Amino acid sequence: MSPVPGRPITVDWPLALATFGLVVIGLLTVYSATSVPGAHEGLWIKQLVWFGLALVAAVVVASIHYRVYDSLSWPLYGISLVLLVLVFLIGVERMGAKRWIEIGPLQFQPSEIAKIATCFVLARFFDHAKLDLTRMRWWLPPLILTMVPFVLVAKEPDLGTASSFPAMLIAMYFWAGMPAGQLLLGLSPILNMGLFFVTGTLWWFVGLFALIVAVFRPRMSTLLVMLALNIGVGASMPYLWNHLHDYQKRRIETFINPEGDPSGAGYQVIQSKIAIGSGGLAGKGFLKGTQKGLAFLPMRHTDFIYSVVGEEMGLLGAAFVLLLYVTVILSGYRLATVARDGFASLVAVGVTTALCFHVVVNMLMTIGWAPVTGVPLPFLSYGGTALIVNCMQIGLLQNVALRRREY
Amino acid sequence: MPQGPLPNDRDQRHAALGAIALAGFALILLGLLRLQVVEHEELARLADQNRIRLDILRAPRGVIRDRSGRLLADSQPSFDIVFRPLPAESLTRARSVIAPEWLTRVAALIEDDTAGVRRRVREANRSGQTAVLRRAAPYGVMAAVEEYRSDLPGIDVLVSPIRHYPAGTMMAQLLGYAGQINESELADRPDRGYRSGDLIGKTGLERRYEDVLRGVDGAEFVVVNAMGKRVATLSEGPPRLPVPGHGLTLTIDVDIQMALEAAMSGIERGAAVVLDPRDGGVLAMVSKPAFDPNEFAVGISSARWKEINRDGAYPLLNRAIQSAYPPGSTFKMVTIMAGLRDDLIDGETRFPVGCSGGYFFGGRRFGCWLRTGHGSVNTVGALQHSCDVYFYQLGLKLGLDRIESTARAFSLGEKTGIDLPAETRGLVPDRAWYDKRYKRGTWPRGILLNLSIGQGELLTSPLQLATMTAIIANGGTPIRPHVVREVEGVPSFRISKPIESGVQTAQSNWDVVHEAMRLVVDAGTARAARVAGVAVAGKTGTAQNPHGDDHALFVAYAPADAPRIALAVVAENSGHGGSVAAPVAGHVLRRVLLGDSTRVAPARPAPPRTLRSDSLGVIGD
Repeated sequence: MSPVPGRPITVDWPLALATFGLVVIGLLTVYSATSVPGAHEGLWIKQLVWFGLALVAAVVVASIHYRVYDSLSWPLYGISLVLLVLVFLIGVERMGAKRWIEIGPLQFQPSEIAKIATCFVLARFFDHAKLDLTRMRWWLPPLILTMVPFVLVAKEPDLGTASSFPAMLIAMYFWAGMPAGQLLLGLSPILNMGLFFVTGTLWWFVGLFALIVAVFRPRMSTLLVMLALNIGVGASMPYLWNHLHDYQKRRIETFINPEGDPSGAGYQVIQSKIAIGSGGLAGKGFLKGTQKGLAFLPMRHTDFIYSVVGEEMGLLGAAFVLLLYVTVILSGYRLATVARDGFASLVAVGVTTALCFHVVVNMLMTIGWAPVTGVPLPFLSYGGTALIVNCMQIGLLQNVALRRREY
Repeated sequence: MPQGPLPNDRDQRHAALGAIALAGFALILLGLLRLQVVEHEELARLADQNRIRLDILRAPRGVIRDRSGRLLADSQPSFDIVFRPLPAESLTRARSVIAPEWLTRVAALIEDDTAGVRRRVREANRSGQTAVLRRAAPYGVMAAVEEYRSDLPGIDVLVSPIRHYPAGTMMAQLLGYAGQINESELADRPDRGYRSGDLIGKTGLERRYEDVLRGVDGAEFVVVNAMGKRVATLSEGPPRLPVPGHGLTLTIDVDIQMALEAAMSGIERGAAVVLDPRDGGVLAMVSKPAFDPNEFAVGISSARWKEINRDGAYPLLNRAIQSAYPPGSTFKMVTIMAGLRDDLIDGETRFPVGCSGGYFFGGRRFGCWLRTGHGSVNTVGALQHSCDVYFYQLGLKLGLDRIESTARAFSLGEKTGIDLPAETRGLVPDRAWYDKRYKRGTWPRGILLNLSIGQGELLTSPLQLATMTAIIANGGTPIRPHVVREVEGVPSFRISKPIESGVQTAQSNWDVVHEAMRLVVDAGTARAARVAGVAVAGKTGTAQNPHGDDHALFVAYAPADAPRIALAVVAENSGHGGSVAAPVAGHVLRRVLLGDSTRVAPARPAPPRTLRSDSLGVIGD
């Protein structure tokens, strides 16, 4: 869909239309999900108002030249870190998590702002003229820039949002030119830790590490440092594990596998699977879902909204929604290739990856293939901050589109 | 291509990013296909019935046993009549449930009024949570409900554990009780996995060791029929089995405890603590008046609560650790040790003024308890006969700092750190305290006279007095009083280190105190605590009480040459320590020292056996 020479450059229409389609489906589904008598009636109107605000925000974000964001990225990053620290001091606590800051009647989640600010600062860093990601010393600064907000958000706790930070970072490392083998090698200590917790042994990893080394043949210094890191992690994990108290182990287990606790998240997942599965090919029809009306599907209008889509619209509707997301994500990545400069290109990749990560994690959660971490589904789930920020992300992508290369 | 350092193999990288994203979406599509095509029939059936219910498998709470394995607290089944919100495929069914006829029948069965039942059923239907209509229903009610249950949609009988204390009122405050968690307790612990209906330790050990005693509840999904009756377990989610709580083994010896309870039977209000001076283990602890924790475990009415607490009885108060009394003459060992350890006196020291029944200081007469006077006494004699005039002069010689620091070394004025909640610190006033009380630096020296005989502002708990006595008995080694000896299944459990560093001084100084305390029992004010054939050392005390009759106190340890037991007894408003508190100690010491003495420190715990509360009556002396 590259612009035809001679034609004026406009917004990216597939991206805009797909986003609009998702928001409309979201409004309809929120309407349906809250149409049973109860405390949430009429939420769709509120969501409509939010969408109006979100549209304005997206237009504003798209109109300011992205070079302004480039030059402001450090102050923006600093401000967002301050806000994240403020969450701990003056944050509003809901259901055991401090994620919100209140200003008058307004509540917002600094973690969402930090996500965009971190994307800017990373893009600015990777846009450095002397960047050489085959060298390890260039790995560390972006890692630190990402880990600081990651840890702050994870401590709120908001693990779902937090984990989109490393996802964004990995994609940007890759896009900025880090060789794939080096990237895998760099991720190996984390893979190591994850595999240990899931399988309880370290043997998986030995093979994986050997394979990466054999296929990509990294620099000797890199290899040695990563090997040392891995051995360090590998040696300390069983020791750490054995020195944890029973209740701490249980907490980690629940963290890795929340469904193991059927009284909490597992209950929702089973109900979600029943709702989706009972929808079948064509669904039960708009407003005709039976599961949503009961207490059986908690969070049906927020984190588990996709199961209402699956129940009422069936496989066809759910796959159509999927198609719209694919359009959004692929448009985002395509914009990265036609962006006028490095910063814009990297921002497009970061923003798109963060969106993609949220969509995939949420959907995998509703079908029971990923842990329940409390990630809303972009554009569909009810919620003001998320909708505005997601639309701002689309605004950023359109910003890149409006200033893309002319042929 | 744009400027900047971005790599040249962009097309491949773009393809890779797109491929990874598409792979993620393909995975979701696969999941949708599986649920909506492959498993559609099965899941549609479940949705039709929509009868998946989550049943909580309650974890049994850890049991509490004495040092030889005798049961002190366990859990028993109780029957709750509950209403489960129906998996109403339609709200109409839920409405029919609150039909008047249904309500009347249910209310009649569970012997409650219809308004209350309606309110709880409505709430349950709204929240989707199970509501308890009648807790701990008697057998008759349970049987009636069970009989008519099939006609009453939503009604079910649930078995839930209730805490049971076989020893009844014995050790009531020490064990405390566990009962239903209430709203505010739930709100205070949002992340701890408590659910309404759970047991939680409210007081005593049950509270202090809540995290250990409480297990982790399990849960399983079950498929229920339209009546809410379970027809199968669900293969989707395997049950998570409950993890039972850890059991506690106490340092308490039920034999000694029963002896102490029997000995205290004549005392209306007061407390006593028996310690092992070698390690700080609490062998027995009594606080009077007591209560029956079984009554509280079920829950009591506010009328009953008022009745229990009338006349300020406060039976839930553990007077052994939560009440502070002036130590009276039991403090005199501290005063003497303060002088001995700084070499200001020795065992033979006599003061210039002999006892003529009083002492003049600052224009005021400070009386001795013996109006006729003791004449001239040396240190040992002064302690043996509790001669106040000697201590007045010693107090003036010592000054505030020496008295204060020695009292603290004996663990007074600070929490002992016992593993029970809400321990009092008592009060050992220091300079800062008096500066606050009086104008800075202007407080009168007369306070030294009062402090030296254990009166004035001093306050100590019975536990602190027992700890002080144990430190005297073992020659200055600090101890950490504790009640729990072992936590079942937690080999890493350790008893904490003592808080104070103890009293380091020459053996000859200890000999002075030890000899005097022996003479107190053999030929002094505490002859009621003598035990035939075993040397007992002790000290009586009488604490002036501005609000009423004096409190009687007594501390002792035995055998005097190799102490295995140290104790403190406080009887409120009972007069003299020698005539009221010392006989209590005598009863206990005779029981322990002349009875089966191996019980004090058994080599290995005996196999568990249930202790019956009525066995208390067997003990007597």
